[in-house]
Amino acid sequence: MMYIKTIPENCSGCKVCEITCSLWHWKIINIRKSGIRIDKKSIVEDIPKVCTHGKNCNFECIEACKFDAMKKNGEIVYVDHEKCTGCGACERACPINAVWIHEKKAYKCDLCNGTPQCIKFCSQNAIVLG
Amino acid sequence: MCYAGNILKIDLSKEKGEKQKIGESFVLKYLGGDGFGAYFMNKEVDARIDAFSPDNALIIAPGLFVGTAVPTAGKTSFFSKSALTNGWNEGVMGGRIGFEMKQAGYDAIIVKGKAKELSYIVIRDDEVKINSAEHLRGETTRKTAEEIKKDEGVDVVATIGIAGEKLVRLAIVDCDERQAGRGGIGAVMGSKNLKAIAVEGTKDIKISKPEKLLKLAEEWYEKMISHPSFEEDGKYGTGEFLEWMNSERGTFPTRNWREGVFDERKEIDPYYWAPKYAIKNKACIQCVKPCGKAFVAGGFMLDGVEYETLFALGSNCGVASIEHVAKANELCDLYGMDTISAGGIVGFLMDLYENGIVKKDEIGFEAKFGDGNALLELIKMIANREGIGNLLAEGVKIASKKIKGSEKYAVHVRGLEPPAYDVRGIKGMGLAFMSSPRGACHLRSGAYALELTGKFWKYEGVDRFSSKNKGKEIADMENFMAIYDALGVCKFSRKIFLLNFEELLDACIGKGMKEDELLLIGERICNLKHIFNIKAGWKKSDCKLPEKMRIPIPEGVSKGSYISKEEEKEMLEDYFRARGWRKDGIPKKSKIKELEIEEFLV
Repeated sequence: MMYIKTIPENCSGCKVCEITCSLWHWKIINIRKSGIRIDKKSIVEDIPKVCTHGKNCNFECIEACKFDAMKKNGEIVYVDHEKCTGCGACERACPINAVWIHEKKAYKCDLCNGTPQCIKFCSQNAIVLG
Repeated sequence: MCYAGNILKIDLSKEKGEKQKIGESFVLKYLGGDGFGAYFMNKEVDARIDAFSPDNALIIAPGLFVGTAVPTAGKTSFFSKSALTNGWNEGVMGGRIGFEMKQAGYDAIIVKGKAKELSYIVIRDDEVKINSAEHLRGETTRKTAEEIKKDEGVDVVATIGIAGEKLVRLAIVDCDERQAGRGGIGAVMGSKNLKAIAVEGTKDIKISKPEKLLKLAEEWYEKMISHPSFEEDGKYGTGEFLEWMNSERGTFPTRNWREGVFDERKEIDPYYWAPKYAIKNKACIQCVKPCGKAFVAGGFMLDGVEYETLFALGSNCGVASIEHVAKANELCDLYGMDTISAGGIVGFLMDLYENGIVKKDEIGFEAKFGDGNALLELIKMIANREGIGNLLAEGVKIASKKIKGSEKYAVHVRGLEPPAYDVRGIKGMGLAFMSSPRGACHLRSGAYALELTGKFWKYEGVDRFSSKNKGKEIADMENFMAIYDALGVCKFSRKIFLLNFEELLDACIGKGMKEDELLLIGERICNLKHIFNIKAGWKKSDCKLPEKMRIPIPEGVSKGSYISKEEEKEMLEDYFRARGWRKDGIPKKSKIKELEIEEFLV
């Protein structure tokens, strides 16, 4: 199975992954609509957060969603925005903090139809295919 | 379109904010960042006022490409009348504030007035709040940002440290360990009782042609990561060429510009310290080619040490120990002071001490060149205005007027302490120091690279030891660089992009502009900054280099080179001609008309 592996010690905190993610998915720039986030905690800690599609969890988001909005397409977990109400149950349930609510919709990684844009634009090898 | 179409004006005295619209024609005329600063500084500020007057403005403007996917275009400019030069000032940083501003729906923020107590501003999209920051008085930049992030739940904070609060004239504004560094913008912020600005933007930034932008972003990304500077800067940061500047060019100012080669440079060379202390790369927002380093030593950490700082706190103070230089860098960041000016001032004092002009009892300790502990102590004293630090906090220009017999040791141009280019052996940069709107500055022209290598862009065969034909070269480079600051593109990408922004502009705003169109905007911006200076009292006679530039470089490959008064005059007059200005440096009416800035006619 495919997922995005993070290597925080390589991350420079540039946020190009977040920017590109929003541009590819939504044709705008808004890092709050990105499916990957860099948590900038200190000079030495820039920590990429992104869904690993079951690698580090038991699909708690799917379990938590009462609106059938968190779905699986093969091994890829994605959000059906038509059904999502932004209740936040998935965000709370995710054990690796890789789902976020913005303006009543959930955002998370969907692996960009198999060609993750964030990886394509990461010059520091902080996110790689796992 | 990638701009929001709104300016936010905040009056701290009246505790209110209001929006003002800007239209497409305004954006096409000024682009963003530097262009907006040049326009609004002239529009909003009476240039004759004191820098610390509540009527001075603090203007923050991200470049046009900030908030897009254009690689390395994350720069935001800060503007105010300068606390050091009493003229035009700007500082460009790669902190996230501009990106958040764009998402909050603002292309610029203009802060005027003075808060009645130490305060911070919180901007969340359309909401603007002013809160007390009295509990943060005296706190470091880092701690202030942490506290406000925690209390307000926001992620991006630009802040001053104690130096800004105490009106230290070399105070900076910090955001994400990136600084609007030069000319005392932090002191102006302090004079407004403004400790910090926190911004959270949640809106979409619209892009005219998103698919095209994504495709172009990928193409430019590939060019960036395959460029030699990707690996060099990635491994060693901006100080990568420090050894070359010493051994191959002999233009690395040392011990308050006594020498042009720092013989003791082994440890401050990043080839020595980066493998030992730099644990990872640190980038500005939108940057795929980072030059920052997370520097970790026993008990402290910082984002650095940058080339200019290796000179200022290293060679200029004769300090050869990288741990002392890095610690001094961290102290400057935390107290909120410009490392270049701090090193300029400490180097100046050390020179005065060694020449018997300032005595040990006036300082409180010995302050010889090379004494890293004296450097650290002096930085603390300047930031806190303690002892002789109170005088040094005024900068080299004012301090040299108050210390008898010190003027010939004072190295500054119009009040700004110079960066790490010994212009005695880089004569075009000597002109650039004089012509720059903010005093001794390497970034308005960036001509050091052209001068030192002899070629860049449309120039080749440039002779750094000659004062001939420098006017057009420097004017062209200033116009070129103004575009970088208007678009928010990092100048370390200038060899890669040159002015090939036509397609990117088309993708972002739906209108491409060719090099000549952009250069006209660059020229407009440069003229507007100069007009501000003229209104502030700029005189041709202020455009001069320090006395030390008349003393030949004593050793190294540039040995014997200096800039004479005649060369200075020749270069300046050549520059005025190239700019279409009169002999006294005032722009001709025909030039102002050509640039369509008649409303600011002087």
